[in-house]
Amino acid sequence: MITLQNVTKTYKGGIVALKDVSVEIGKGEFVFVVGPSGSGKSTLMRLLTREEPPDDGEIWVAGKNLKTLKRWKVPLLRREIGYVFQDFKLLASKTVGENVAFALEVIGKPRQIINKRVPEVLDLVGLSDKHDAYPHELSGGQQQRVSIARAFVNAPRIMLCDEPTGNLDPQTSVGIMKLLDRINRTGATVVMATHDQQIVDSMRRRVIELESGVVVRDQSRGVYGYGG
Amino acid sequence: MSARWAYLLREAVTGLGRNLLMTIAVILSVFVSLTLLGSSILFQDQVDVATDEWYGKIEVSIFLCDGRNCDAITPEQEEQLREELANDPLVREVFYESKGEAYESFKEMFKDQPDFVESVGPEALPASFRVKMEDPREFSAIYDKFKARPGVEEVVDQRETLRPIFAFIEKVRLGALVVAVVQLGAACVLIVNTIRVAAFARREQTAIMKLVGASNWYIRLPFVLEGVFAGLVGALLAWGVLLLAVPLITDSLQQTIQFMPFIGIEEAAAVGPLLLLGGVIIAGLSSLIALRRFLDV
Repeated sequence: MITLQNVTKTYKGGIVALKDVSVEIGKGEFVFVVGPSGSGKSTLMRLLTREEPPDDGEIWVAGKNLKTLKRWKVPLLRREIGYVFQDFKLLASKTVGENVAFALEVIGKPRQIINKRVPEVLDLVGLSDKHDAYPHELSGGQQQRVSIARAFVNAPRIMLCDEPTGNLDPQTSVGIMKLLDRINRTGATVVMATHDQQIVDSMRRRVIELESGVVVRDQSRGVYGYGG
Repeated sequence: MSARWAYLLREAVTGLGRNLLMTIAVILSVFVSLTLLGSSILFQDQVDVATDEWYGKIEVSIFLCDGRNCDAITPEQEEQLREELANDPLVREVFYESKGEAYESFKEMFKDQPDFVESVGPEALPASFRVKMEDPREFSAIYDKFKARPGVEEVVDQRETLRPIFAFIEKVRLGALVVAVVQLGAACVLIVNTIRVAAFARREQTAIMKLVGASNWYIRLPFVLEGVFAGLVGALLAWGVLLLAVPLITDSLQQTIQFMPFIGIEEAAAVGPLLLLGGVIIAGLSSLIALRRFLDV
């Protein structure tokens, strides 16, 4: 589903964000990407959504070679990917239902499909009763559920989650992880960048560890630090 | 209406409302520049209308000697001149104006100034051949041919008398055009800035749209529609003002300058489509330029 071959990304000023990274992530996998700040996690995510091109190496996502992907086809790539942010990025002027529907509206889905999919996905994240609430009326955990609903409403094959529990307390985080696990079980590939040792240790999924842009560990059923 | 179009229109309208002052500035600026551009076109129309009318009427005059400044023309010389003119391929038509006829038309032309007419006797005006040319631009050929003939006092291209008027109109037209172009440039800059501000105000929403895979035109179109809408309103205002102003101005001019034909509401109406098209294209292009970098993939 996701393949990186000898990918290198250097920013202006010679900062090496990723160096010769080769990773293969299969369909339906659940993968943690761990490492300290500045280790290249965010760069990896941005490369996968084609927000930036790599300097070197090849990247395939959902069967598309990002190197040869035409500019106008980038939106089609992104429709295969659900993206969850650390800070939710909900639109404050829209209700929960509108925020989720927005993701379908702007890719031109017909109204009947929107009216069907939005309640379904809100039910999946456990927020059926919050359809008409505004983001500021919700707790952090609830807002993150809305953001996950928005990412998943178009049934993407890949979910990219950038520190989704970074702003949440441990108990709320557990709920979010259960939700992501459930989404993973529907067949979606989940890639989650995180600092959260407790979560990684308790989930026992594949762990890819980056340090200064280099993959220093790739371990199935791993834990956050060494010694597992 | 599909969700897609409903969304685009809603976005454009809320965008305009959110930024009302800037929108008004854009509309006014487009309005002023297109009014000037339209005026410049109408000045040209005015010149064309007057030229067509006058060049059809106006002839080359070959004034004949009556013995005051040169030896009076003999009937033989006069007859030969008439024959040559009638057979000349450059000449379409020739007729003779006697001293008496010249005086009559002089009295008619200056009937509002009887004192002036009094001061000029019936003998003061020379007889002449009035020549209509096949092509009025061939004046110099006629001039060279007949200037030195015995009995010919002067060969005059009557169009010369209109040159100063046309030169003046041309200057005004150029002035309007220059100001119009400068003002159009200002309007473009203003549109670019307005659209940038609008895009910046909605950058969160735009970022989300990009990440969920909205196509580029879908992200851009509301902004471009905003610009185009403002441009269209400005162009409509410009057209409206020209439709009102042109008949008012030319009607009052017509009363003082009766011998000149003037343009009217038809000509003012005819520039409308051009102004609308210009407003839309200028605003649309400016908006696209504004978005080119800001909303890159």
